[in-house]
Amino acid sequence: MNRRYFLALTAGAAFAMVAAAPFAATAADPIKIANVIELSGAGATVGTNWRDGLTLAFEEINAAGGLLGQSVEVLNYDTQTDAPTSRAMVQKAIDDGAYVILGPIYSGTVKVNMLVAQQNGVPQLTGAEAPFITGMGNPYIFRTSFGAQQSMPKLAKYLSEKAGTKTVAVAWSNDDFGKGGRDSFVAEMEKHGIQVVADISSEVGQADFAADVVKLKGSGAEAIFVYLHEEESARLLKEIRKQDVKQAIFGETTLMNQKVIDLAGDAVNGVRGHVGLTADAPVPGIEDFVKKFEAKYKYKPDHNAIKAYTGAYAVKFVTNKIGKADRQAFADALHNLTITPAEEPGILMETSWDDKGEINRESFLVEVVDGKQKVIETLPKL
Amino acid sequence: MNARANFLAILAAVAVLAVLPSSLSTYSVYVLCSWMVFSIAAMGLNLTLGFAGQVSLAQAAFMGIGAYTTALMTMAGIPWPLAMIAAAVECFLIGLVLGYPALRVQHHFLAFVTLAFNALVFLVLRNEEWLTGGTYGVVGIPRPSVLGFSTNQQTGFYYVVFGFFLVLSAVLYGILRSPWGRAFQALRENPIRANSLGVDIRRMTLLAFAIGSAYGGIAGGLLGQLVQFIDPNSFTLTISLKVLLMVIVGGAGYFFGPYLGALLVILMPEFLRFTEGYYLMLYALLVIVLMISCPKGLLGIVDRIKLSIKLRQNPSATAWEQGK
Repeated sequence: MNRRYFLALTAGAAFAMVAAAPFAATAADPIKIANVIELSGAGATVGTNWRDGLTLAFEEINAAGGLLGQSVEVLNYDTQTDAPTSRAMVQKAIDDGAYVILGPIYSGTVKVNMLVAQQNGVPQLTGAEAPFITGMGNPYIFRTSFGAQQSMPKLAKYLSEKAGTKTVAVAWSNDDFGKGGRDSFVAEMEKHGIQVVADISSEVGQADFAADVVKLKGSGAEAIFVYLHEEESARLLKEIRKQDVKQAIFGETTLMNQKVIDLAGDAVNGVRGHVGLTADAPVPGIEDFVKKFEAKYKYKPDHNAIKAYTGAYAVKFVTNKIGKADRQAFADALHNLTITPAEEPGILMETSWDDKGEINRESFLVEVVDGKQKVIETLPKL
Repeated sequence: MNARANFLAILAAVAVLAVLPSSLSTYSVYVLCSWMVFSIAAMGLNLTLGFAGQVSLAQAAFMGIGAYTTALMTMAGIPWPLAMIAAAVECFLIGLVLGYPALRVQHHFLAFVTLAFNALVFLVLRNEEWLTGGTYGVVGIPRPSVLGFSTNQQTGFYYVVFGFFLVLSAVLYGILRSPWGRAFQALRENPIRANSLGVDIRRMTLLAFAIGSAYGGIAGGLLGQLVQFIDPNSFTLTISLKVLLMVIVGGAGYFFGPYLGALLVILMPEFLRFTEGYYLMLYALLVIVLMISCPKGLLGIVDRIKLSIKLRQNPSATAWEQGK
C-alpha cells in the first residue's frame, strides 16, 4: 500500500464518519429535552411544579413509544433563579445537544438566556409572563401561558363592565415580573376610564406588609389589585384580613395560586381574578391531569405544572407533525399553529401560537371559595 | 531555587489556561470566564480586606457601577477600551470617597457602612429608570472587538478576559511588592505603629479602598460583556458576600487566595451538579467544614503544613517561628 493510497483511504474514512455522524445520532441516541428551570433560590416553588409537570408528561410520552419511535431523555438544569447561571445552563443544555429547551419561568432570567438559545437556533418554550419576552423579535421563543399584556385586558374588562369599578389601588412587586404586570394593568385602567388612586410597590421577599395595607385601605379605592409573587401575596392577604380591609380584592394568576391558598388559608377566600390556567378549571383534560399529578406527587399542581405539561405535549405534537427532530423546522412549525385536544389530548385545551410565539387560548375568571378556585366565567380566546 | 520553582509553576498554569479553551465545551469556557471575572473582583477585595485589613461588603456595588458604566457607554457607541477605563477610574474615585468612613470606623461598623452603600447602589440602579432601565436591566451589551476580531464566540471573549486577568494579576503583584504593599500590611497589623514609622495611614486606607474598588469596576465591566445582560439583582449584597466568601475561603492576605477561592465558589457547585437536588446542600456543607477546619482559608492549610515541617526539623524554634 503506497502512501498516497493510504492517505486517500484515511480521508475517505474520515469523511464517511463525519457524514454519518448526524444519522448515527438520530438513530441510536434518545432525543434530549433540556429543562432549564428554577430548582433553588426564590423561584424554587414554581420551578418544582414545572419540573414535575414536565417529568409526568415525558414519562407518559415515553410509555406511549416516545417521539418518532425514539425515547426522550429529560435533562434538568437548575438556574438557581440567577440570570448569569441561567445563561450558563442554557449554554450547557445546547452543548449537551438539546433538541428543545423548556423553561425557565422568571422573566429576568429568560431575557438573558433566550439570546443564547436564539444564537444557536434552539427553540425555547418558556413559562415567563412579562410582556417583553415576545416583543424582542426572537423567532425561537414560545410562551406556555399568557403574557401579562394579554391577561390584563381580560381582567380590566371584567372590572369595568361586570364589577362596575371606578377607582382602584395597585400593589405590585418591584421586579421585572411585577413591573411588567403593573404597567400593563395601569395602561388598561386608563383605557377603561378607571382611576388608579394608589400605586404601591413592595420588595421581593418583603415580610411585613402592614404599612402597605394601611395605604391600600386608606386610598379610598373601590377595589385593590394585587400583583405579587406567591409568598408575598400570602403575606399581604393575611395582613389585609388582619386590618379588616373591606374593599374587593382582585388579582391575576399568582394571587389565586394554589401555593398562596396553602400559605394564607382562609385569607384568600373572596379573592377574585383572572387565570390563564387553573387546576380547578371545568375542563375534562385538566381534571384528568390533576388526578394523575396528585396520585404521583401527592400535592395539588399549580398553573406552572400545567404550563410545563402542555408545553411537553406541544413538543410531541409538533415533532410528530414535522416528522423529524429538527430545531429550525420545529420553530417554523409552531408559529401560527393551533393544537386542539382532539388532535393531541395532552394539550388539554385548544391552544394557538401567533407569529411572535405569543399564546392564545380560553381563560377563566375565578373566585376563591373555601380554599378552592371556583370558576365564575370562561373567557373566550382573544 | 524555591522562587524559581514557583515561577515555573505559574508559567505552567498560564500555559494551561491559554490552551484550555480549545479542548472544552462552550459551557465550560463560559464557567472559566466567570471564574476569572470573579477572581479579579476578589483580588480587589483581597487587597482591601486581606492586605489592608479594611472590611468591605460593597464589592458587588462596584461591580455594578463598572458593569453599568461600560454597558451604557459601549451601547452609546463609545469604544470599549475607553468605557473600561472610565469604569475603572469612576470606581477608583467612588472607592476613594467610600474610604473616608473607614478613617473613622473599623471592623463590624465599617462592614455596616459598606453594606449600606451596597444597598444604596442597588436602589439607584433600580429606581433611576431613565438611565439604568430599572428593574428590566440592560440587555444586548455588545462584546468587544479586538483588532478587528469579534469576540462574540465564547473562545474569543475568553482571551479578552484572560488578558485582563493576567495584566491585573501582574499589576497587583507589583503593588504588593512596592512600598505601598508594605504600607498596606503595616496598616493591617498595627496602624499606630505604622503611623509612628511614617506611613500616612489616611492616604493608605483611602488607596486600599480605591484600588480594590477599581478592580471591582473592571470585573463588573467584563461580567456585563460576558453575560450580555445586567440588572440590579446581579449586584446585590448576596454577590458582595459571595466575593467575600471567595477571599476568605481562598485565604485572605495570600496573593493566590482569591484565585483558589473563586475557583471553589464558582466551580464547586458546577462539579456537584451531578448530585441533582443535593448539590447546593453539599456545597454549603463543604464550605462550613472547610471554615471550621481551616479558618485561614485554603492557603492557610499550606502554611500550616509548612510550619509543622519546619518545627519537626527544628524543635527549638522560637515562638515567632511557631506563629505565636
